[in-house]
Amino acid sequence: MLTLKSISKGFPGVQALKGVSLEVKPGEIHGLLGENGAGKSTLIKIVAGAYTPDQGEMTFDGAPARWSSPREAKRHGVHVVYQEFVLFPQLSVAENIFVGHELRNRFGIVDHARMRREASQLLQRLGVSLDPRASVGTLSVADQQMVEIARAMVHRVKLLVLDEPTAVIAGQEVTLLFDRLRRLRDSGVSVIFISHRLEEVFAICDRVTVLKDGELVGTHDVAGVNRERLISMMVGRELGDLFPPKRAAAVAPRPVLRTENLSIAGRVRDVSIELRSGEIVALAGMVGAGRTELALGLFGALPISGGAVQVDGHRFTSMSPARAIGLGMGLVTEDRKSQGLAMQLDVAANITGPALGEITKRLLIDKRQEAAIARREIDRYRIACRGPQTPVATMSGGNQQKVIVSRWARICRTVLILDEPTRGVDVGAKAEIYRIMRELSDAGLAILMISSELTEVVGMADRVIVMREGRITGELQGQDATEENIMHLATTERAA
Amino acid sequence: MIAPAAVRRWIQNNASLFGVTVLIVAVCVVGGLMTDRFFSFGNIVNVYEQSTDLALVSIGQTLTILTGGIDLSVGSLISLTSCLTSGLINGDPGRVIPVAAAVLALGTLVGVLNAGLVISLRVHPLIVTLGMGAILQGVTLFYAMGPVGKVPRDFTFLAYGRIAGLPLGATIAVVFCVLVAMFLRYLPLGRQIYAVGDDDNAARLAGLPRTRVLIFVYGCSGFCCAAAGLYLVARFGVGQPYTGVNYTLASITPVILGGTALSGGRGGVIGTLLGAYLISLVNNLLNFMDVSKHYQLVAQALIIILAVSVYVERRRMA
Repeated sequence: MLTLKSISKGFPGVQALKGVSLEVKPGEIHGLLGENGAGKSTLIKIVAGAYTPDQGEMTFDGAPARWSSPREAKRHGVHVVYQEFVLFPQLSVAENIFVGHELRNRFGIVDHARMRREASQLLQRLGVSLDPRASVGTLSVADQQMVEIARAMVHRVKLLVLDEPTAVIAGQEVTLLFDRLRRLRDSGVSVIFISHRLEEVFAICDRVTVLKDGELVGTHDVAGVNRERLISMMVGRELGDLFPPKRAAAVAPRPVLRTENLSIAGRVRDVSIELRSGEIVALAGMVGAGRTELALGLFGALPISGGAVQVDGHRFTSMSPARAIGLGMGLVTEDRKSQGLAMQLDVAANITGPALGEITKRLLIDKRQEAAIARREIDRYRIACRGPQTPVATMSGGNQQKVIVSRWARICRTVLILDEPTRGVDVGAKAEIYRIMRELSDAGLAILMISSELTEVVGMADRVIVMREGRITGELQGQDATEENIMHLATTERAA
Repeated sequence: MIAPAAVRRWIQNNASLFGVTVLIVAVCVVGGLMTDRFFSFGNIVNVYEQSTDLALVSIGQTLTILTGGIDLSVGSLISLTSCLTSGLINGDPGRVIPVAAAVLALGTLVGVLNAGLVISLRVHPLIVTLGMGAILQGVTLFYAMGPVGKVPRDFTFLAYGRIAGLPLGATIAVVFCVLVAMFLRYLPLGRQIYAVGDDDNAARLAGLPRTRVLIFVYGCSGFCCAAAGLYLVARFGVGQPYTGVNYTLASITPVILGGTALSGGRGGVIGTLLGAYLISLVNNLLNFMDVSKHYQLVAQALIIILAVSVYVERRRMA
């Protein structure tokens, strides 16, 4: 279906791809693995016609392909579902599916009724039933993903490229997505599937290609490789255990944070939990279960609508971020780009951001001290950058995440909340972040980690709290904290 | 099962039309209570007639705002086209048609130029059109420092003529508005205007003809300004270099009142037309109250700030 031969592509300062060859067969699901910066994005943008390669040849469907625009690639049957969906939230499902290729009647007028009908049919072929009139912004992320895939089918897609489709969905939604992808494959569509999660590659891919530093490491039948082999291909070295050992010693008897029947902004109801110093507690559940809202509520970024929070023995019925910070709490948000980092500022400014008082002397910021602090943190967390003055926008996702974690770790004395701390972070950086988390908790912080990645939850957490539809459905500890038990609590009573 | 959702969606989609209608009714009630002349046929027609210029400009402005942009050159373009119209016709009935056609073409061309600059320089339309506005004002003053030329009596028919008892200009504006509304709903380019405004980057990645969309909306805005310029000359009998000054801000008010999102992607021209009527009503009411023109300007400015703040509040709660 698709053959790439010795493809190279460079950008000012970086050689993103060096002579990569890849073959995707008709009707196969082909996994594409690699750490961040391995060249996956560049490769799929070339396939999608968004970039033209500097060198190398590409053939598609038996003919040489040199596409000048995404539009042209799409006309030939290549469709890419990017991580950030290319959807129009205010337009309807039907309009989104047919955008740019609106169906018209014989007077050249847009035929809304036929568009709605055919949109429903396309979605039905994927096994989804959605109201074609609903505006896409009101749909769940998983349904939005289906709208994207349905859009690909409009153009009689031959090659569907999915860029980390499971980064935004969880649990049962992933299972459903995989079913639908198999359905597409069986109808003859080739799929390139990009993921950070190895277990998914084993679950759905027929073959897998690993990239590293812009070079091809190898392509294998999935049946012929194991997890360890893939990891070592990705990182180029054997990675010991990804997760640091759990804490052996008993945690403090008295909770540092506890909630009494806490309700938040209609999204979280009647939540009573306790966090103790020195433990890592995972908050598991589906996307939309209210986990992020609970975190934002604890930190005062969403209003508390009922119940109370106790921190360090003080009881509060309302919270604000300023008060939470004053109580020694920290929050690393899910979306580091828009809610955490000041992308245009340098590492030093980002690290000292919320604690400027410390480096202010006679109303002026002491740049030298700021840089000294930054240098110390860069060493401590092994942040890869050129120095305190590096703009964070130029750094990789994993290192950005370390910057933000170090920012909070410095001022955090009681509770540190991390929302999806390893999303979009490569395997190497993940291990680093896990190590940092364990160090912080050993130093006496209570850590609350929200995660949709079950391996991470099981690997890191001393205790797992599961939420569903805004409520706590259970708590698991030690041997009981298995992926199956967590999924069970996260999905029970849910119409299957 | 489907009906409630459909009803809810209809209300949601038309909530803004609902809002502007309620405001119109409210102003009418106040007006009716204040003076019994308010509901006289003459006054109603007056309000309808006085909305024409604002309606025309705002319809064009709606399109640029729907794409997430804005056209701040409208005021100067109105001034320029009105000066050129009366200056070039200069009382000669034989020149009316060719000059009117040329002026409409010029307006469109200026709009296309705006779009071209936005696309090729990748500068925000705010800056491009603001700069274009300054250039056009300069050109206008170069052409005429004060009222210039004159138009034949027949030309004023555009403003004062009646068709079936209704003012011609205002009725042309309504017909034009309906045509644009149908274009937005039933032609692919119309739908794509919404898509570009909803998410510009997504539109690019979806391979939508973004260039064509922008050229069309700014061209259309320029065309509307030229039409408003012609209308104003018909009304005043002469073109003046500062005729359009207030329209830059004023053209945005009916768009917002009519429920078009300032961030793009949502709204439409019917709401804008109602918004223009609302402004016309408020001005009419202020006239009855003997409030000076200067305060009307202040009132309009307050209305737009208030309208935008209401919109922001709604977004936050959604």
